[in-house]
Amino acid sequence: MARYTFLFLTGLLMFISFVAKATPIIELEIRDHLFYPAELVIPVDTKVKVKITNHDPTAEEFESYELNREKVIPGHSQAIIFIGPLEAGIYPFFGEFFPKTAQGKVLVK
Amino acid sequence: MLLNSVIFVLREVLEASLIISVLLALSQNQGLSKKWSTPAVIVGLSLAWFYASQLAVISSYFDGVGQELVNAGLHLLIYIFILLTIVLLKYPTIKSFAILTMICCVVFASVREAAEIIIYLAGLSSMPDLFSSVLIGSIIGASIGLSVGILFYYLIAYARLKLGLFFGLFLLVLIAGGMVSQSIQLLTQADFISSQSPIWNSSFLIDERSLFGQLLYALIGYESTPTLVQFVCYSASVLLAAVLTISTFRSSSVLEKS
Repeated sequence: MARYTFLFLTGLLMFISFVAKATPIIELEIRDHLFYPAELVIPVDTKVKVKITNHDPTAEEFESYELNREKVIPGHSQAIIFIGPLEAGIYPFFGEFFPKTAQGKVLVK
Repeated sequence: MLLNSVIFVLREVLEASLIISVLLALSQNQGLSKKWSTPAVIVGLSLAWFYASQLAVISSYFDGVGQELVNAGLHLLIYIFILLTIVLLKYPTIKSFAILTMICCVVFASVREAAEIIIYLAGLSSMPDLFSSVLIGSIIGASIGLSVGILFYYLIAYARLKLGLFFGLFLLVLIAGGMVSQSIQLLTQADFISSQSPIWNSSFLIDERSLFGQLLYALIGYESTPTLVQFVCYSASVLLAAVLTISTFRSSSVLEKS
């Protein structure tokens, strides 16, 4: 029984690590209330892990009605948001705390 | 910045304000004490302050999705305590325990909504040139959100007993469904639930960004682009809450003030 449990857990860990590795990571930065890059390009029907680094001392909220995503990123910290798989198109996002400057879009193609 | 602050704070306050006002109005309707509300909000705000101060640490848990899990947990807890409130109101001997479940709902709702406002204001307080307009905007946004809550309170609390109870429980069922819907969205964002394409897009009818869209979002968990999982979970949670509500509404004890 212990052997099967061990094999199951090993298999599960391998599966999880495989899935984790299979998800591409895209970096997004916030500096002076602006997103860098302001345009993220991701392939169609692909799930991606967006790693957002907020270099500002103030917090920002990543928000997108089109992507159905909303997350507060405290100042000088990092956050992870999963997006996709998506159909081809343009999906705008913005920083809710500084919406006039913090604007960007996800380009799926 | 003034208009942005109005919209941001209004969105956050509206949701908590509706939950608090509906529960408070039901307390009035059922002849229960209303003294619980102020301490519940104070406890909620204190916990929100703690949550806000620890958000960076909490966010880093569970491979960077700790924030989503805590928020999804808060929404699910509000749903569970709304169900318990509905059930407890049915039984005259334990009806007063509904106050405890109402307190839990208000505490969790205050934590969820106030934490973001605290983070927002704390960040902008370090920018003196913007802060005054942000503060004015926040006060206006909070006032509008609270006014809508007060309106709903009077509509329920001072309606005839049966009508007020029906309206209050009806709103509670919809709010409960919205909690589950938001929770599913957060779990999808955290990749705990597989992301799916939306099953429809009703943004041409009601835009989520509009004031009416925001009100519907707070009231019934309106989502212009829901996924199948979100729609199924929302429908199932509303159905469960509705069945419990009908059972409570049919009970003679709720139609007599204690």
